[in-house]
Amino acid sequence: MIEAYLIHLLILIGIYLILAISLQLTIGYTGLLNLGHIAFFAIGAYTSALLALNGVPFLICFLLAGIFAMFFGFLLSVPTNKLKGDYLALATLAFTFVVYSITLNWTGLTRGPLGLPGIPKPSLFGLSFSSNFSFLILTLIVILVSYLIIRRLVGSPFGKVLEAIRDDELATKVLGKNTFKMKSYALATSAFFAGIAGSLYAHYITFIDPSSFTLLQLIPILVIVIVGGLASLKGTIVATFVLVLLPESLRFIGFPSSMVGPMRQIIYALILILILIYKPKGFYGKVELE
Amino acid sequence: MVFTQLLINGLIAGAIYALVASGFSLIYATSKFIHFAHGVTIAFSSYILYFLFAVVGLNFGFSVIFAIIFASVLGLLMNLLVFKQLRKRKTSGVILLIASFALLILLESLILLLFGAEVKTVGYIKVAGGLEVLGAIITPLQIFIVISSFVLLGLLFLFMKKTKIGKAMRAVSDNKDVAEIVGISSEKIYNWAFIIGSAIAGIAGILVGLEQSLDPTMGTSLMIKGFTGAIIGGIGSVPGAILGSFLLGFVENFGIWFLPSGYKDAIAFVLLFIFLLFRSKGILGIKREVEK
Repeated sequence: MIEAYLIHLLILIGIYLILAISLQLTIGYTGLLNLGHIAFFAIGAYTSALLALNGVPFLICFLLAGIFAMFFGFLLSVPTNKLKGDYLALATLAFTFVVYSITLNWTGLTRGPLGLPGIPKPSLFGLSFSSNFSFLILTLIVILVSYLIIRRLVGSPFGKVLEAIRDDELATKVLGKNTFKMKSYALATSAFFAGIAGSLYAHYITFIDPSSFTLLQLIPILVIVIVGGLASLKGTIVATFVLVLLPESLRFIGFPSSMVGPMRQIIYALILILILIYKPKGFYGKVELE
Repeated sequence: MVFTQLLINGLIAGAIYALVASGFSLIYATSKFIHFAHGVTIAFSSYILYFLFAVVGLNFGFSVIFAIIFASVLGLLMNLLVFKQLRKRKTSGVILLIASFALLILLESLILLLFGAEVKTVGYIKVAGGLEVLGAIITPLQIFIVISSFVLLGLLFLFMKKTKIGKAMRAVSDNKDVAEIVGISSEKIYNWAFIIGSAIAGIAGILVGLEQSLDPTMGTSLMIKGFTGAIIGGIGSVPGAILGSFLLGFVENFGIWFLPSGYKDAIAFVLLFIFLLFRSKGILGIKREVEK
């Protein structure tokens, strides 16, 4: 019993981890205040679920979820490239709402508020990942690969250019870098990983509906990124573990489950406010948001 | 006539959005950040009205006044406890925006904890038959909403033009440093902006609460409309916010002539998007450094 619960928590931590390190790529490394991450997560989840329900094998669903999300990330980056600061935040937030609105209203495709039930558990090369333990292993593999790719990216010359854009975009332009293109790549890559996280989520829970992809879901990821510290992958990993596990303790203190949801949000929001006031760089952060 | 009905619906929606947007814009103009939690001030005021009037059973007038005061105090407290602390460290508007977003989620969850998720109604005005105007139907309450919105916006305009605090607010919004040199305390002005802006939000919350049922996330959706109105009108300008809000009200209501009504929120966002991309300074063209 307790084992099953722990495995469930670890899978959740895994999905949050992929979301958080990919968001780190845009907010932390490139300095783009991207509030559209949940939309890419939703696009990935819906793409993967719809394909799988139509009999497409998991591997293709999984990759297409990422590629589709990446495509939308690129699409979003083109018009928003000139915007900065709070205007970029608003535009990406607008994108989240438009995607939410479409998942809710395009009932012919997404079944709207009824959601998509019965998403098959993944199977790869004849191996089935239907038990939670095997799914955990699959999640671990995906995390490891994503982490290595992102770490490689941020350490590469490309990553350094992204950091330069964050610190001083004009100066980076003067040095002859095409900052628009770099920012587009960063947003698209980040969206790709959000998309595959969405695919994992859909195949793990086996049911998705629009309510899983609202602003409320953005708060935990944003808190993880900021508490862990901008531009720090290590901080993000530590923060994911701490922040996903922390509200779980509410269940053991004996709060009814109807109160756990709102309490969780209140805890996250309070942590976020306190961190912004008292420790704006987070615990392992190198830079401050501006 | 469908056309006049949509026109009237647009006017009613616009009247509410204008109240939301003008309070939001007032706060933006002075303290220069996007105050997301403005939406939850509206929701809280509706819920306080519901609680005092429908649950406790107090006199309606008293409940209304208390709800407005509550909204004002809530706004002021947010400013003093969170935003003032952040400003002390000279943080950027983006940090204030994230903090305000966190406050929105925090207070919205608090409403959920206190009042539960089920839909509530204030039930002060019994559903009355509508009046017919040029083939369209409008209820007396809706006429009251439109009139009170116009009166309030007029008062706000006079306040900004004639009173000492209003003038000081415009000075701070124009150039904070110069305003401080001539002896205006910007922190004091921020407090006033939050008090007045949140009071207007409180009134908007009451009007919405009379017209529709309450649910914990109502603040977020109204907030979206409010800042969309403010941005397309020209952010930081109260007349711009009012203009943008009415435009939004009309576009939304005429939009559902072509699209299913579920897309109403999406229409608002598409409009916001278009303005952010092509005319980020809004209709009135308020100059502000948006682009690098």
